[in-house]
Amino acid sequence: MQNFKLGFRAMLPLAPGILPFGAVMGSTFAEANLTFGQSMLMNASVYAGAAQLATVNLMKLNAAVFVVVITGLMINMRFLLYSAAISPQLKGEPWWIKFACAFTLTDQSYATMTAKADLFSNNHQAIRFYLGSALAMGLTWHGSVIAGVIFGNFAPASLSLDYAVPLSFVALLVPTLKTRGHRVLAVFSSLVSLLMYGLPFKAGLIVTAILSMGLAAVIIRRRGHA
Amino acid sequence: MIAGPYFLTNVALLAVGTFAIRVFFIALSGRMRISPKTKELFTYIPAAIFPALVVPATFFHQGQVAALAGKERFLVLIASGIFCYFVRNTFAVIVFGLAVLFVISSYLAT
Repeated sequence: MQNFKLGFRAMLPLAPGILPFGAVMGSTFAEANLTFGQSMLMNASVYAGAAQLATVNLMKLNAAVFVVVITGLMINMRFLLYSAAISPQLKGEPWWIKFACAFTLTDQSYATMTAKADLFSNNHQAIRFYLGSALAMGLTWHGSVIAGVIFGNFAPASLSLDYAVPLSFVALLVPTLKTRGHRVLAVFSSLVSLLMYGLPFKAGLIVTAILSMGLAAVIIRRRGHA
Repeated sequence: MIAGPYFLTNVALLAVGTFAIRVFFIALSGRMRISPKTKELFTYIPAAIFPALVVPATFFHQGQVAALAGKERFLVLIASGIFCYFVRNTFAVIVFGLAVLFVISSYLAT
């Protein structure tokens, strides 16, 4: 229970980034004339902000179903890597814990656990921490989306609170850059993502991820031979 | 206006597809043997993904500070990364970045 609480608390500093993002999502639902029920259905079942934002905008333009779905799944394909990364910790856990972890897998919950990886002495502790952070993430996200649907985008524009999302990723990334190889990879990923930005179906993110993981494999192999 | 059946079809496919992606390796967690090298590879995932999430979004954002070619968000992101290197606190980094951006936008915007 202590690790669950620690995980819950570890997510709270990210709230300044999650709240305005949720507000934008909620107001996008409202501007697309979706009902409250439709908005909540998508938010609860897909539970992936960036993909939801992109696909609702495509649906507003009446894009073909395969365009909407491919775009959304391309953006979400990064969860495959998170799923692989979290899987060793879930070995031996009951199915419903695995289900809960899979359903709540987000950038923030995965990153929070990774950034605090040194705190855990076993997998059980890591997963309880993860579930605590995932609960805090879910409450903050759904609460802010509901508020955004009802009140519109409540975040004052002058404060640029939407910018807290990239800032929170920076704060979660830097502690994981422990070796020169990690730092080289972060620079590589930055540059490649800029080059791949214009790819159709928002494929730039997953193409960058694949190329970067390829370079990571090379870095590990070369270090093994050194 | 988004038609109901069209919306439901998209949401159902997105929900099933996204969950399938999320659960894929987790479902295999009891059956897979993961080598130490693969576990080491997993430590590179944040470095592979997070820059790709934030760098294009900030670099291609058109800001209002002409003196910085409208790239104030990107420059503040770099400054926040350096700040984070010394101050390992998520909330402090967010406050720092927002405050610097606010000051730059308030005093340098044209």
